[in-house]
Amino acid sequence: MIAGLALLLAALSAGASQLRNRGNSSAPIVMDVYSDFQCPACKALYERTLVPLSYDYIDRGKVYLVHHEFPLPQHAHAMEAACYACAASRVGKYEQVCELLFRRQEAWATDGKVDETVCSILTPAEARKVRALAKDPAVLAEVNQDIQAGHSAQVSQTPTVILTYRTKQYRIPGGASYDILRRFIDQLLAN
Amino acid sequence: MRYFLMVLRLALAAVFVYAAYTKLRQPWLLFAMSIDAYQILPEWMALWLGRTLPWLELALGLLLASGFGLKYAAAAASVLLAVFLTVMARSYAEGMKIDCACFGLGEVISPVTLTRDGVLLALSVAVTILAMRKGRTTSVAA
Repeated sequence: MIAGLALLLAALSAGASQLRNRGNSSAPIVMDVYSDFQCPACKALYERTLVPLSYDYIDRGKVYLVHHEFPLPQHAHAMEAACYACAASRVGKYEQVCELLFRRQEAWATDGKVDETVCSILTPAEARKVRALAKDPAVLAEVNQDIQAGHSAQVSQTPTVILTYRTKQYRIPGGASYDILRRFIDQLLAN
Repeated sequence: MRYFLMVLRLALAAVFVYAAYTKLRQPWLLFAMSIDAYQILPEWMALWLGRTLPWLELALGLLLASGFGLKYAAAAASVLLAVFLTVMARSYAEGMKIDCACFGLGEVISPVTLTRDGVLLALSVAVTILAMRKGRTTSVAA
């Protein structure tokens, strides 16, 4: 019975984490992104790569983006931000919260006002729900599951991007330009 | 001294051949991305180096292993390693947390990678000096 309950919890957790993914799950390329909301390089990846990638590949069903929260221990507010983002995914506002957390990274990373930042784009009802969910052990477990997945994938830094195409995995160097990444994705798709 | 030089150049050759192998076994665009991440060169040059640099490393490794044109190969290896070390030190000093791309991917620039590159540079300079001395001794004897 305990095993059954554990399986049910794992299935529910997996279902919840899918709310943070983007695109067609049967797309030829799966892109796993391990990211920390307080990391400046993750902000750069989000703004310079993931946003244009959405238009060019994700929305066209060529790439399936899998978000993994990977808050680093040295970032004081990263865990809280990850929990709020996961909680926001449950009210269908993950993308908006991601965009906001990265855009205002410098401010909340300094003053620690994660709650205020996230709730500024939510309706009062959503804000109440997200606040409660952000402290829910199930959401914390979801974030911890992502961290564990990162450790299993030997993630040691953020952002880490892993592309999977036909069972072959490619670790994408952080900080590279979107143009070269696009060339690489096009080359994979042309094969 | 002859055997000492041989051991040094073979060790250096092995490092260059291995570095080339780790880059050539993966798609060249991944290495081009690593070069681009340093944000020093224009994109076209990162792409060009991504294609050619592993082959240059392989050629230098094979030349060092064979001993053919040793002083020139060792001098070229020293220049290349000095450039690598300078670029890596600059990126580390600027706080960039990027892959060093020395032996494939997944190794962030750190004091360990900088020390390793420094040791390799010292080794390469030693091979260059010994090869030049040997060349001079041979020509004087002739």
